[in-house]
Order: sequence, then C-alpha cells, then structure tokens
Amino acid sequence: MTAMQEGNFLERRVPLGELLDLRSFREVCHSFAELYGVGIKVIDVSGTMLVDITRGSSEFCSYVYSTAEGARRCSAVIVQVKNQPLDDGPTVHIIPCFTGLRYLAVPLLYEGDVVGRAVFGPFVPLEMQDFPPELKEIRGLDLAHGRVLLSKIRRAQDSTIARVLEHFAGICEVLIFSSYQVYLTSKMHIESVRESYREVVAKAEKLEATLSRLRELDQLKSNFLATVSHELRTPLTSIIGYAEMLLEGLAGSLNSEQREYLRTIMDKGERLLQLITSILDLTRVESGRLRLEPQPVDLVEAVTTAVSSILPQARKKNISVDIDARPPVDKALVDPQRLQQCLVNLLSNAVKFTPAGGSVVVSVEEAPRVPHRAQGRFDGPESYFAIRVRDTGIGIPAEAIDRIFDSFYQVDGSATREYGGVGLGLAIVKSYVEAHGGEIYCESEVGKGTTFTMILPRVYVSPVRAEALLRTYAP
Amino acid sequence: MVQINHDRREIGIKVVYYGPALSGKTTNLVALHDRVSSEVRGRLLTVDTKDDRTLFFDILPIHFCSGSGFKVKIKLFTVPGQVIHASTRRLVLQGADAVAFIADAQRSATQANNEAWRNMIEDMRANGIDPQRTPTVIQFNKMDLPDVRSQEEIAAAAARGNEPVFQSIAIRGEGVVETLHGLLQLTFRHMQRQFGLANMLRIDEEGFLREIFRRVDLRGTSIRTVRGFDARKEEVR
Repeated sequence: MTAMQEGNFLERRVPLGELLDLRSFREVCHSFAELYGVGIKVIDVSGTMLVDITRGSSEFCSYVYSTAEGARRCSAVIVQVKNQPLDDGPTVHIIPCFTGLRYLAVPLLYEGDVVGRAVFGPFVPLEMQDFPPELKEIRGLDLAHGRVLLSKIRRAQDSTIARVLEHFAGICEVLIFSSYQVYLTSKMHIESVRESYREVVAKAEKLEATLSRLRELDQLKSNFLATVSHELRTPLTSIIGYAEMLLEGLAGSLNSEQREYLRTIMDKGERLLQLITSILDLTRVESGRLRLEPQPVDLVEAVTTAVSSILPQARKKNISVDIDARPPVDKALVDPQRLQQCLVNLLSNAVKFTPAGGSVVVSVEEAPRVPHRAQGRFDGPESYFAIRVRDTGIGIPAEAIDRIFDSFYQVDGSATREYGGVGLGLAIVKSYVEAHGGEIYCESEVGKGTTFTMILPRVYVSPVRAEALLRTYAP
Repeated sequence: MVQINHDRREIGIKVVYYGPALSGKTTNLVALHDRVSSEVRGRLLTVDTKDDRTLFFDILPIHFCSGSGFKVKIKLFTVPGQVIHASTRRLVLQGADAVAFIADAQRSATQANNEAWRNMIEDMRANGIDPQRTPTVIQFNKMDLPDVRSQEEIAAAAARGNEPVFQSIAIRGEGVVETLHGLLQLTFRHMQRQFGLANMLRIDEEGFLREIFRRVDLRGTSIRTVRGFDARKEEVR
C-alpha cells in the first residue's frame, strides 16, 4: 500500500527539462533560429535555461560585455529575461535591453499552468535609429565598431517576431503535451508492472503458506498411517497365529472343510499383513525413518529367489520368466530384503499385466548412467548396476507414466478395472530404490510391453556411515 | 484526498470515471471535451490502443480561478475497463475525490456492471478510499440501444443505493454534462462539509458550478440555466 501511495505520478509536476527530450527539442529550436535568424531561449519555471541559441548577436553582446559596466547591465537584462513575471495568458511580453535591442517572451503553458517561457531575441527593433544613451554612456566602447557588429543582428518588427514566437509556443505546447503523454504512458507501464509484481509476490506467499500447510498435513497422514498400520498388525498377527494353531490340530482334529477355511483365513491374513507392512515401510520412507541394512548380496541368487516366488502365477498364465544369466556384476552391498521386495513387486506386476503366453525377462546389467541422486560426489556409472524387468504386457500410456510411482495410483482406477491391487507396489519399489541413492524409471509402449530399470549402487553407504567416512578421511 | 496547495493557491480535484469495459467512459470525456470551452480545459490526453479500447486512461483537465484567487483544477480520469488492467485501474483510482460510475444500460451488461462495481469498491478500499464517503454518481449509458433497462428497472436500481442516477447517450453527448454537474455538486457539498471549501474559495455551490458550467455548451442539456446566468445566451467556444 505504501508503494502504491508513491504512484501519485499522475499528479506530479514534471520539470520541463525532464519532460522534453532536450536533444531533439534543441534541434527543433536550432532549425527555427536558422529559419528566422533570431536567437531562441527556453527557460523552465524555476529559471533553468534549457535552450540558449544565439543568432548574429554574440559578437555584439560579447563586445558590450567586455566592459565592466556593459557586463553588469547585460547580466541584469538576462535576469529579467529569465525571471520577469509573465501573465498566465498567451500574451507576448517585450523585454527591452539597454543596448536598444529587444527580447520577446511568451509563457509556455500546460493545463493552464505556466511551465516555462520561450524567448526570442535579441533582435534590432525596426524603428531603432541609433544606440540609446544608456549604451553610449558606457565608457570604453567604440560605437562605430558597435554599429558594425549590430548590423549582423536581425532587424525586425515586433509583430513579425511575435507571430513567429506565438507559432513557436504553439509547437512547444504540442511537444509538451505529447511528451507528457509519453511520460504518463511509460510511468503507467512501470507502475502497472510493479503493481502486478506485488500481486504475484502476494500470491506466491499465499501458495507458499498453502504448501507448508499441505506438507504438515502430509506428515500427519504419514504418522497416522504408521500408527494405524502398527495397531492393525498386532491383532492380525494373533489372528494368523491362532489360525495356524487350529490348523496344526492343537485344539483338536479338524475335518477337511474346516482346514480349507482356516487356510483361506491364513492366506488372506498373510496378504493383509504384507500390505500393512508395505504401508508401514512406505510411511517410514516418507518420514525418513527407514533404516537400510546393507549386506553382501549375490545378485543372480536374489533374482532367482524372486523369480521362483512368482513362478506359480506365471505358470498359471503360461508366461515364460527368464533370467539373463551373464551379469557383468555379481555382487552388491545393498539391503537384501528390500532388494527382494523390489524384485518381487516388479516381477509380480510384470506377470499381472502381461497377457497369457507372454514373456518376462529379468537381467542384471551395467548401469546406463549415474542416478540423479548419486550418493558420492565423484560417482560414475561404474559405481552402480542396473536390474531390468522387461515384459510383453499391456504397457502404460505416456500420460500415466509420471504417476505410476505415486502411492495408491492405478492407471485404471475405475471400479470395474481388470487388474487388482492397491497401487502401493511401485511406490514402495521407488522409495526403496531411492533410499539406496538409486533411481527407477520406466519405458513403455502401449500394447507392446514395459521395461522397469532400477539403478542401484554396487556398495550402499548409509548417510551416517558416509559422514563417518568423510570425517575419517578428511584432512 | 483533495490536493490543496496554499503556496500556489491551488486546489486539485480528481474525478474518476469508472465502469466496465466499453461502457463509454472515454466517450463521456470526449463529449465533455467537445462541450467545455477551451479557455477552461486542456487537451484530452488519451493513451489508447490500436483497437480503440482504452489501454491505460484518459485525462481531461478543467480549471478556473475562484474569486479568492484560488485556482481550481479538476482532472477527469477514465480507468481502463478491461479486466486485465486491474493494476492500472487501481493506480488511476488512487486519491480519487469523486467517482462517476458509467454503467452499460443494456440488460446483457448487467453482470459486467455488477462486477465492475464490486471491483471499484474493492479498488477504493485498497487505495484507502472510503466508498461510503466518496461522492459517487451512476450513469446508465447507451440508452439508445435496444434491450436496455426500463425506467422502472433503473428506478429500482437507483433505489438500492444513495448515488444519484443519470441516463445518457454519451456518443451523442446526451446526459454527459448532467452527470458531471451532478457529481461536482455532490463533490462541492462533500468538500464543504470536510473542510469548508466555500470559505477557502470564497465561492458558494452555485458560484462553483457556475464557474465551470458557464463555459460549457449547455444546449440540449437539462441544465437550462445556471442561476444568474443564462447558458443559452452565452456564445460558447
């Protein structure tokens, strides 16, 4: 608001010198002076000389000025030329010089205000026959020489000069008007931009506030999920435990139907438990509390284990699952359980979204590049390895690819969708991979298949450990 | 926020013509420019875009000298009506002493009128101007067009507020002088209450209005005579 109060530029009086483009204005004055053979002065309202052009008079005036008395009187005339009060109206005023020469002055007006004056002269009045006594009495002047110099100055009738001066003042008025217009336009541009900038800043602040509020809410959500998952897990473990005890016949023998039911209870219970554990993990990653436990891992072995766990589903759909058996890397130091979970999630997704008769290939390869969140300052691709899971499945539309790693996101989120799941698998994979300082990305073509690539470090160093190492090796 | 400069013996009054886009604010000023004698007004300064809509604003200055030697300078401004020029509108409205709201009388413009009115109130508040205490008149313009509001509707709209309501066909200059006359009358009264304008200028309401409107072409307006002065006999311009 304070800044807006400054915007009173609309009411501001701009000095003439600031308003006019003086260079081009002087050019206009020069051409006028040239055309009419008379000197021109333009003075602003505070007495500042903006234009001072002499025509023919400089030698004569200098000569008179060279005497002490001449200089004194001349200065007095100039003061009058600059400051003698003029009426507000467009009347032409005569300002006589003691030499018998003459100036004509007219006020320059803008919106009824005097903003300066235009002065033409000095010129020799048509009726002037000889120097007046005021000049003649000055000692040290050679009048004959003075007359020679005087002849170089234009001799004219007042009315002639006045007509030109009025014309000139009219042009000045138009110039002042258009300059003012330009001034206001540019000022308004600037002020509008400032004003818009202030608006944008205010909006940005609002957004910022909203964002931090959302972050808080997100944190609350994570806390809530963590608590709820934990509270769900405990009774669920009991349910599974007791079902298992019943199944083992600890409470007496069961018939086959009862066993069947109990097995279903256990199966579904296990699935529920897995889901809850996943949610818990996810909230741990989000809140930065996930602790990885890196151990040496045989990558082919890890991949084989993961493949064997999804093999039953794959067989049901007659999908072939192959492992690229010649990995360039065979061992890595990563969290084996999390890696296993990643592989299982990616593989079961691949099987789930691949139509019967398709194929899935898992390969361990050299890392194609360094992940964006590389662990070390000087990491190159050689510090990483990649695991690729390729399928010949239904593919993912381009517009959905960016979102598939979001929690609870499903490409087909409709109630009638064909594929089940809660949409946590990829979110978990992503968070595990990123917790390792790695990266996962997806390339897909609808109807042809999808490839997920995980880039993981060959040696995962926990941030705490990295810091400790730095401390040890730092000079 | 009237500007009084005692050193220069000047008083500046800022009148802002506000309203939705294309409601005829600039047309009002053009009509006034044509009717006010050049002795008391300056040039109409218009900064306009190529498509003939006001990008920024127009200014029409009107000035006269009161009996006490005070120079009264009234500056009429228009704001750009287009929605995107909100910042310019606010800047122009800054320090306004009086407001003429130019509404488009066509029924189809009702929503635009309402929006502009609300914006105006907001802009005034943003500028620290109290809308309740600012002299304001409303003009329903374009009364010659089809499907304009009926007299009953205009009367009903007028009854919803205190602002005097005028009707106009600005493009023909009709109702434009009346609007300004009504607004300046309100403004004078307001300033009289605020700081005794009459004493300062040594001029009463009639005198104040006369100083301006005796130099206005009043032919065809409802302001037949300004008391003590018959406008119709005066050769204007």
